[in-house]
Amino acid sequence: MQFSVAELPLALFTTLAPLGAGAFVALACAFFTTSFSDEQLKKIDRGTIIPLAIVIVGFICAFFHLASPMNAPSVFLGAGSPMSNEIIAGCVFAIVAIVYVIVTNAGKLCGSARKGFAAVVAVLAVVFAIFTGLAYVMSTIATWDTPLVPVQMLGFALVGGAATAAFVLATAGAWADACKGSFKSAVIGLAVVGAVLAIVDLVGQLAMASGMQNALVSGSELVSGALLPAIIGLALIVVAAALVFVSVKKEAATGLAAAAVIAALVGIFLARMAFYAIQMSVGIYFG
Amino acid sequence: MTQYGFYFDSTRCTGCRTCEIACKDYKDLGVDFAYRHVYDCEGGDWQMQSDGTYTQDCFVYHVSLGCQHCDDPACVKVCPTTAMHKDASTGLVSVDEHKCIGCGYCHMACPYNAPKVDREKGHSVKCNGCAERVAEGKNPICVDACPLRALDFGSIEDIRKKYDGVDSVPPLPDASYTHPNIVVKKCPAAARAKNVAGLVANPLEVM
Repeated sequence: MQFSVAELPLALFTTLAPLGAGAFVALACAFFTTSFSDEQLKKIDRGTIIPLAIVIVGFICAFFHLASPMNAPSVFLGAGSPMSNEIIAGCVFAIVAIVYVIVTNAGKLCGSARKGFAAVVAVLAVVFAIFTGLAYVMSTIATWDTPLVPVQMLGFALVGGAATAAFVLATAGAWADACKGSFKSAVIGLAVVGAVLAIVDLVGQLAMASGMQNALVSGSELVSGALLPAIIGLALIVVAAALVFVSVKKEAATGLAAAAVIAALVGIFLARMAFYAIQMSVGIYFG
Repeated sequence: MTQYGFYFDSTRCTGCRTCEIACKDYKDLGVDFAYRHVYDCEGGDWQMQSDGTYTQDCFVYHVSLGCQHCDDPACVKVCPTTAMHKDASTGLVSVDEHKCIGCGYCHMACPYNAPKVDREKGHSVKCNGCAERVAEGKNPICVDACPLRALDFGSIEDIRKKYDGVDSVPPLPDASYTHPNIVVKKCPAAARAKNVAGLVANPLEVM
């Protein structure tokens, strides 16, 4: 586990950015399923700055991982490489999300235009989450070379996003109205599907890694070091999904939603640390 | 293009680290970096026979490795900036320090543990096959420094004609991952390592 500490900025990036992006998916569902009042929409739009800020803080954390952040614009030269794809998908999503937040807060969007724009941001958020996972899939790192990795990242985005959107809607006084209609099933669905994807995929990856070995280290050694953060992390992700489930029955859910966001943040972060701790090359390297 | 590559004779190598130290000296590297590593590979066990005597299949050998300047380098494939690149005329893989962001993806992806990120310099660093010496018609410094003449360097086509050998020996990965430009002459101990589980015995030194 000590090796993954070096990956702290990336663990923070891959926790914060997909979680913030996921909130735009759940918020889009809310706009498609609920007719909010103008006052509620105004407050929701102001609250949408929260997930956007989480995404931006995530990107700032990623910069701390770089030895030469000033050369960062060079990442666009390598389009096609997994990390360039991730950054390009992230930048496209972030720019569109920033425009969305500015336009909605300026009161320039209503009705179907809002729904359309929110849907575009949601789709870009999903694409970004998947590309964030794909950045780690490479044939020479045996323990990461699996489709479980991008699917896991999508799971983190959905469960963390459902919790964050619940917090935004609750603080805007729109949660109770949203949960009267089909948004209730949608947000529970996002939280549960997200948690299941996160759990099944991380457990599957740990099981796969435990049977691997290179000339320096055995996968079972790495997995035993990663087990505690993985178990606590996944338990907290279940707690986050459960809190979203419980909060749909409450009129005032701000506290529960806030607790769900914190549980999701800490849970996803620990799961990410476990992920980095099982890095093992097909050759003579382990991370 | 002339693709250059290394030859390593594990029947000659005594694990003296002269190649590694000559490289560190020539490249003026500090204590935290080495562009060539010597891996001590050990394995085997003792088995008691029915008559109470013991037999053993223990082995030890050394593998000296820099960069293999692969045909399909994992480091180049994952580099987000194209800073890690293959020279069009020599096939040697090196870092363009003006483009590199020091993200460490090359370090993670390389199964030969070749590139590393030097945060002080602000970019990845690795064996470049002593490209500047090669341009002058000289060998890389590690090759000329080896007191046992266990290393050689040249056009990989010539190296493969000149020496019998393989492109993978434990602890190296299967060559199909990156198609390395290296020819290794296996010592008997290395041949035995195919059948008996072995480990790199000096991980703290090489990692």
